Amino acid sequence: MLRTDEILSTIQMLHSEHLDVRTVTLALNVDDCAAAGMGHLCRKLRDKIVSKAGRLVETCDRIGAKYGIPVTNKRLAISPVTHILAGHGRNTALEVAKTLDMAAADCGVDLVGGFTALVHAGMTQADANVMDSLPEVLSSTSRVCSSVNVASRKSGINMDAVARIGQVILDISEATADQKGFGCAKLVVFANIPEDNPFMAGAYMGEGQPEASINIGVSGPGVVCSALRRRIEMGGKLTLGDLAEEIKITSFRVTRVGELIGREVAAELGVPFGIVDLSLAPTPEIGDSVGEIIKTLGIAHIGAPGSTAAVAMLNDAVKKGGAFASSSVGGMSGLFIPVSEDSSLAQAVADGHLVLEKLEAMTCVCSVGLDMIAVPGDIPAETIAAIIADEMAIGVINNKTTAVRLIPVPGAKAGDFVEFGGLFGSATIMDVRNSGASTEFVRFGGRIPAPIQSLGN
Amino acid sequence: MTVRTRSRAFVLNVISSDHPGIVAQVTHEIRGMGGNIEACSQTVLGGFFTLIMIVRFQKDITQEALVGHLRGPESEHRGFQVTVLPARAGAPVRDTRDVETFVVTATGKDKPGVIMRFSQYLSDKDINIVDLYGDKKGDEFVLITQVEVPTHWSVDMIQADLEEMGREEGFDVRFQHENVFVATNQLRLPHHSEA
Repeated sequence: MLRTDEILSTIQMLHSEHLDVRTVTLALNVDDCAAAGMGHLCRKLRDKIVSKAGRLVETCDRIGAKYGIPVTNKRLAISPVTHILAGHGRNTALEVAKTLDMAAADCGVDLVGGFTALVHAGMTQADANVMDSLPEVLSSTSRVCSSVNVASRKSGINMDAVARIGQVILDISEATADQKGFGCAKLVVFANIPEDNPFMAGAYMGEGQPEASINIGVSGPGVVCSALRRRIEMGGKLTLGDLAEEIKITSFRVTRVGELIGREVAAELGVPFGIVDLSLAPTPEIGDSVGEIIKTLGIAHIGAPGSTAAVAMLNDAVKKGGAFASSSVGGMSGLFIPVSEDSSLAQAVADGHLVLEKLEAMTCVCSVGLDMIAVPGDIPAETIAAIIADEMAIGVINNKTTAVRLIPVPGAKAGDFVEFGGLFGSATIMDVRNSGASTEFVRFGGRIPAPIQSLGN
Repeated sequence: MTVRTRSRAFVLNVISSDHPGIVAQVTHEIRGMGGNIEACSQTVLGGFFTLIMIVRFQKDITQEALVGHLRGPESEHRGFQVTVLPARAGAPVRDTRDVETFVVTATGKDKPGVIMRFSQYLSDKDINIVDLYGDKKGDEFVLITQVEVPTHWSVDMIQADLEEMGREEGFDVRFQHENVFVATNQLRLPHHSEA
């Protein structure tokens, strides 16, 4: 029998602190949609997605209602689109993107990931076609998300791909200039891309996965922040160790909810349950901010000395609680610091407290990288590439996933304010110091070799 | 109540104002009569103590004798209100195979008749209340019930009915499967109702 205080504390989490399931992502292998003819390929792709994912939204809503927990986002992640595009040209890449967009709309899901190229050791023609089609794909579709893996622990950093994607990002920005470069928010450049990540824009279905699976992203930072505040208000002598413990317990509870919903959705859809991603993903909503947690931990200005340590503690405590709650932890499972999507982080940038270099330092100890950062539209492609290279190096050397999602905003300069709307929030354009000073380095190209730590056998 | 019923097993209920020593006194009397306690539960509500027990004796005794022992001699003034019923073997136990446990929570401005209205609805649907808690703090009343819902009922419909009833009574009502409370509070895994 449940105790009354247990029921009351859960009710408080659910209804006052907005506990939710952030995303239920159906991962789907679409390799069997390959066909020689473009029309046939697209028909097979659409039919497969609609038949497998047609019930996703309704199922999530019904199961969410049974437990009184909203499932905020329902999404799709397919196997890398380059598999079915092998042997096809750029036109097919565009048609496939449009097919994905329509199929996602038919299923009622807001985003579909997997317009993905994995180029950490080299690039096929299909990879090149996918990357080069991105300006047109991301400007002519609304639901398609893309990711490009340019580095890995085992392969090092493919600097040719890094340089190429630097230019592609600028081209996407130009192609979506009427939306302030928003197309770039739908592309993530990775090192060590996870194969089971449920979060967008980087979700795709990787190698070694089943035909389909359900992956879960747990609730956001609001619940953790409320728990910490409640603990602090209770008074008494508190140490950072006590606060880490509170985060751990909250993470346990949040993860349990995610797995409960995920397993039931998976069973209803008749697909295996995949993983729970423990990542704390903020939204622009007030109170759903990682920045607020950092402030609650006593850092008055996010970006001040101590910020990296606070993020490290938070990231670790979340993992410990989550790992005890579930044996199926996967994806990125860290703390996200996407600047425009987190109102407190965005404010810290606007106030001049948080700069690019400090964000980079923070990403050494958390997930996932330089995320949703608006930069001046006149930034050189080589500088974008060099920022990516730095972040990739952190991932490769530290054996973790890192990523970059930069949004050059055409016509904007440092300090300007841009509004992306909805979940993507708003941001102040961040100053990029030493812009243009890395050109020669990037132009060498080739591959930065895999680090000595990769020789683990 | 026919107080002269003879039996070996009884369910007994003791109510008293709360103070230390009640359980010690009650169990002392039971032991003295050769009884063994097979199950018990107690709670304190608003300063009042209540205890329910299943007790088995080695030989038949009467309800009257048991009540008399528990109340104690007139001179001691224990102040216990005691009720005793024979606990017959094979008493009907509800079949829990075709039910799932849900939790109903309702909060709102206190007024008479709220529990009556909800419990009447649950009773009409053959939904068994297995645990009930209510507490008034200031003007606010919190009601929490754990209920066994026959699986043939649609969760959506019951949810809609209870929420509508809540709106009419000025209460915020929620109807949620117990697994979410198990998942967030207990180390044991929830039973996955993998439909």
